[in-house]
Amino acid sequence: MKEKAIRKILIANRGEIALRILRTVKELGKGAVVVYEKPDSEAYYIRLADTAILIGEGPRCDYLDIERIIWAARKSGADAIHPGYGFLAENADFSEACEKAGLIFIGPPPGVIRDLGNKVVARRIAAQAGIDTIPGTGDLPRGEDGAAAALKFGREHGYPIMLKASSGGGGRGIRKVVSEKDLLVQLPLARQETLSAFNDENIYAEKCVEAPRHVEIQILADRHGRIMHLGSRDCSIQRRHQKLLEIAPANLPADVLEAMYAAAIAAARQAGYVNAGTVEFLVDAHSHAFWFMEMNTRLQVEHTVTEELTGVDIVREQIRIAEGQVLDIPRERIHLMGKAVQVRINAEDPKNNFMPEGGKRVEVYQSPGGPGVRLDGVVYQGYRVPTEYDSLMVKMTIRGYNWEQTIQRLKRALQGFLIVGPATTVPFYLAICDEPDFQAERFDTGYLDTHQDIFQYPEQEREVAKLAKLIAEIHARKVNPFAY
Amino acid sequence: MTRQTQDKDMRITPQDLRRRGVREILDKIRHADGYYVTNTERDLSQSDFKNRIMPHTQLLVAPQRNDAGFFSLEITGGASVHVDMLRKQMSPLEKLEVLSANMPDTLFQTLCRGINLFGYRPYPDNVIRLTVRSFARWVHVWRVFDFLNHIPNMVSVFEEVREAGAILEPSICFSTGPEHTDAYYVRKVGEILEVTGEDILLCIKNHGGLGTPRRIGALVAAIRERYPDLVIHYHGHNTDGADLGRVVAAVKNGAKIIDASDHALTGFYGPPPLLTAVDILRDEGHEAVGLDRQAVIDASNLLRGEREHYRDFESQFLGFDPTVQIHKLPGGATGSSFEQAVKGGFLHRMPHILQQELPLVHTELGNWWSVTPGSQILWTTAVNNVLKGARYRDANDDLKNLMLGRYGDFPFYRPADSIYEAVFGKEWKTILERDGGYQRIEDIDLAVERKVLEHRIGRAATEDELVLYLQHPNDAVNFIKFEAKYGKTWVLSPDIWFRKGGYGLGDKFEIPDAFGRLHAIEIGPQRRTKTGDAVTYLVIDHHPEPILTEMEAEGAQVKKKVTFTPREIEALAKTGDIRSQIIGTVSEVPVAEGEEVSAGQVLIVLEAMKMLNNVVAEISGRVAEILVAPGDRVEVGDPLLLVRTD
Repeated sequence: MKEKAIRKILIANRGEIALRILRTVKELGKGAVVVYEKPDSEAYYIRLADTAILIGEGPRCDYLDIERIIWAARKSGADAIHPGYGFLAENADFSEACEKAGLIFIGPPPGVIRDLGNKVVARRIAAQAGIDTIPGTGDLPRGEDGAAAALKFGREHGYPIMLKASSGGGGRGIRKVVSEKDLLVQLPLARQETLSAFNDENIYAEKCVEAPRHVEIQILADRHGRIMHLGSRDCSIQRRHQKLLEIAPANLPADVLEAMYAAAIAAARQAGYVNAGTVEFLVDAHSHAFWFMEMNTRLQVEHTVTEELTGVDIVREQIRIAEGQVLDIPRERIHLMGKAVQVRINAEDPKNNFMPEGGKRVEVYQSPGGPGVRLDGVVYQGYRVPTEYDSLMVKMTIRGYNWEQTIQRLKRALQGFLIVGPATTVPFYLAICDEPDFQAERFDTGYLDTHQDIFQYPEQEREVAKLAKLIAEIHARKVNPFAY
Repeated sequence: MTRQTQDKDMRITPQDLRRRGVREILDKIRHADGYYVTNTERDLSQSDFKNRIMPHTQLLVAPQRNDAGFFSLEITGGASVHVDMLRKQMSPLEKLEVLSANMPDTLFQTLCRGINLFGYRPYPDNVIRLTVRSFARWVHVWRVFDFLNHIPNMVSVFEEVREAGAILEPSICFSTGPEHTDAYYVRKVGEILEVTGEDILLCIKNHGGLGTPRRIGALVAAIRERYPDLVIHYHGHNTDGADLGRVVAAVKNGAKIIDASDHALTGFYGPPPLLTAVDILRDEGHEAVGLDRQAVIDASNLLRGEREHYRDFESQFLGFDPTVQIHKLPGGATGSSFEQAVKGGFLHRMPHILQQELPLVHTELGNWWSVTPGSQILWTTAVNNVLKGARYRDANDDLKNLMLGRYGDFPFYRPADSIYEAVFGKEWKTILERDGGYQRIEDIDLAVERKVLEHRIGRAATEDELVLYLQHPNDAVNFIKFEAKYGKTWVLSPDIWFRKGGYGLGDKFEIPDAFGRLHAIEIGPQRRTKTGDAVTYLVIDHHPEPILTEMEAEGAQVKKKVTFTPREIEALAKTGDIRSQIIGTVSEVPVAEGEEVSAGQVLIVLEAMKMLNNVVAEISGRVAEILVAPGDRVEVGDPLLLVRTD
């Protein structure tokens, strides 16, 4: 296969991931093109790109518009497209459209995306590779037959079971069902939800492993058949199946991890995988038995922990692989010692069910620094939390030599944030840092449900902010009304 | 060398008191070769600076004052407990905690009004006991008095001070006139000793700075003759400029402790300059025990620079006032009296009020002691008599309670029948018969009070907060809410706290907060929002931060500028337009809208100068509208209520 150097890359995404990709593109000395919808006109990533192309009024629809993106790539003279995560990142049609337009798609080929994007097909591939999968059905037929099939599955494997969107991802389109009665209520709802979220109404049923750990293996695969892993990530701490905090590597015995690496590479090989991908497993918290869950054919939000741990720039490798280069990172160059953890600093109120603080303005923004701190963010003083998009302001990735040092650093760095305006997840993460089970590195996907005390953190206004309020008042009134 | 070492050993410290107990400490004072000095900063602040000396200033000189070797620092009590919350926005208990951490070797002293504690009216017994226990954590010397020298009014405090292991200092309030003989005071001391036993300090409390040096010397000698082992603490005010003479006379006749304060802050109505007294007495052969002269000078050198920030709070009348011997106002009330006169627009009538009406009222009402709350009763009555043109009309409840004997017996004589008739009307004898007698205050349910407080502040209350609430409920709640919003502002310098006219662009302050963190705040530009509110940009720790201050509509400010004379207000009252004649706070509105009222009926009760004043209907009619609510501040001429005659 011939190598073809990429000159200019269009980033078909927005926000922090557009900025993340852009940084590596710049490092490589290649041209960086970004696209944006009208509501993103003030976004930070646009300022740093060589070319920024307005693709529509939005919101969201234009980032999902394959034709517009291809048009922007042509217009800017880009010869490759990086899809980031979300939007068109796992859309096989998009990958295919790029190929047809003569653009290099920085990601897997369309057939692979299509196969792995379908959960049922993906499970079959894994099974063929000899990996245990969680017992589940194929796509459930519509109507009575589907309900009957699900009920039969429930009787065979016991409740609870999960209903999942066949085209789902990112934690969406998942429902837990606790009884037959519950199943009949939720089945039509799940199908409806799936249809609106993924434009595909297929769903399937799967056995529910109670309070498992969610562990994933990052892999890289080149076009020459070389596949390597970059270690594991523990993404167990979630709310409603959305990841909140990710750790690399997972706290598992070496033999279990080795088995998972082998399984992940086998699955990728079986799928004919190319580029960066993630194989997700559910791990029994006690027996450490693991089952293949799904394979994500994109760059993950939490890829930063793997980068900080291993020292490998995954985006750089993605581009090299897309250029047809050989994956030649020496195994010994990849560090798997120490710990890295990523937290998502969102403009959300954790106490109010993580309600986004859309529309609020960040009056003051001060970020931490120092040893072991990496920030990937979009926020700045004056930043308006968008109502149109997600509320992620900055991802902070902390690197330490062991777990204890990593949480000490995490806590220290979190205390270094000063964000005035919207409520944020910072105090919530600070509360987690002080929680004994977390400190002992003991958690599973039920962590937040079983540790509700975390939400009791105090609302603390800085003492100096209070004093400043009075000084401003004395200044504005020209006299201190509380002194005379 | 030996003198110095010996002096250090003669110091009395809190550790000393804890280790050796009250009796041994009293012995140490009794047998000391010389006398001790109390720095009465609280009285200085109250008499000459309207109680405004800020914690920032007190902390600034804490090391020097701690080194000075005073017998004690009077730092709380009197009106300061109230003003700490009301105008300094600091918990008086936290103030003591913070200061004691910075002055670990100095005894703290308080002035307690017996049954009236640090307020103006009698408190329930369980509140008194709780309050004394709470303050006694930081206060080692308890000066206790009653404005009628009525000992039962002080007993609960005596007991709790004893229980806490603190030094008890009962007072005889001193005044002048035919009744105020040595024999009377010596007898009073005997009555006190009967209740307390001999392990006390005795205070001669000369709150007005009355009498000549010879008079004070004679009184001390008379008490010492009858009770030779009694340790006498002389307290005086320098209103007439002669207190140094009285201090010297007291010591020469055997007083063992005197009151004075830092020379850089001394004014006209408070204590005399400490060092001057010490120097005169040294020449007379009396040494101040344990005192470090240089530390006293160092403290004043620091305080001199601060005094300019307090200029607004010095009296409107500067200069000594020898006529205090006529009007007998206590030093602690002189400044606020003049403040009232200025705000009420009757400053020009002050000579008449002070030199004629006040002494007349004083004599008519029994020639007892003009000190809180009696001084307020005398002053308010005299002012009303002059401003209303009719004597003893619309008497306030405090005067009525006093005349009914509810605060205790008249020490010398009862007011004349004609005054009872002027105050209570023709039926005065029946009223006196029915309502007269000593008032026993029932204990209150502290659990209920705590619930009410917690409801008002919206969270659980600490023990200290409950204690503050029980002193002055509304002001304590306001303070607690203030602190929740603005933090611990006692760290601010008087230059920031009292600044008028706003700060300059680029002004920069370094502020260590109450938790020890150092902050830098720089004043940036200010703009107005469309709604008239102010947005101030402050650079806080190098980061610009916009801060919104909600401003009242401009019109609301201007409206208050309309002024009325007392005569106009009276004329309006006859039309049913009831307006305030004084500056004060609405305490109670005993009528409801729509209620039928008759002339003479109480419509509104206003609190001013710590006294309750009734606003009565001039005409009969129906209450059409009530324009104020309890807690509202009103100025002279502010509309209160409308009465319609249909």
